Amino acid sequence: MEKDESLDCKGLMCPMPIVRLAKKMKEMQVGKVLELVVDDPGSKEDVPAWCSRTGNELLGMKQEGNVFFFYIKKKVA
Amino acid sequence: MAGKRLVMVVSEGTFDKAMESMMIANTAASMGMDVHIFHTFFGLPLLLGNADPKLPGEMAPQTEMMKEKMKSVGAGDYASQKKMAVELGVHLYACSTSMELMGITKEHLTPGVTILGAAGFLNIAADSDMQFFIG
Repeated sequence: MEKDESLDCKGLMCPMPIVRLAKKMKEMQVGKVLELVVDDPGSKEDVPAWCSRTGNELLGMKQEGNVFFFYIKKKVA
Repeated sequence: MAGKRLVMVVSEGTFDKAMESMMIANTAASMGMDVHIFHTFFGLPLLLGNADPKLPGEMAPQTEMMKEKMKSVGAGDYASQKKMAVELGVHLYACSTSMELMGITKEHLTPGVTILGAAGFLNIAADSDMQFFIG
């Protein structure tokens, strides 16, 4: 999937992937797509929850082994 | 959508309660929520600048091991979570009566902490969407 930036949070557990995701998205411009790479199993629920709560768009997710790749489009400034 | 208000009362100061309160608070702030934490009774010493909480009772000797595990998953220690909370705009409150009971003065507290009483906190809680009690 197309992406503008990537953020590797492998090895980090809740709450750090979400805290880093929020910080990273704050730095990005509206319309850009972030790839978030995580292996916290809670992320499967947490990342979609963050997207819906903050109004950003989850374009897709894939899983390779224990690693999740989320593609998130920044929708709100 | 963003902007929901979360209020928490923290009335215990052990490592588990301390970390739990900050981890929830920092996640909430990262979700765009407006977070307010009232520290009262044994939760108040967590707002001391040098707070280094321990696990409760007989588990206390295992605190260092737990702290190492927390660090290994990126969550750091209580001090770093508290610092992060201040940076993320989480509002930290010290209960004025607990301060008097414990002989804690403003100078001892982490910078950025607001001192208030129950009425001040209830006024904030009255307009909240979620209320958590950590104790």
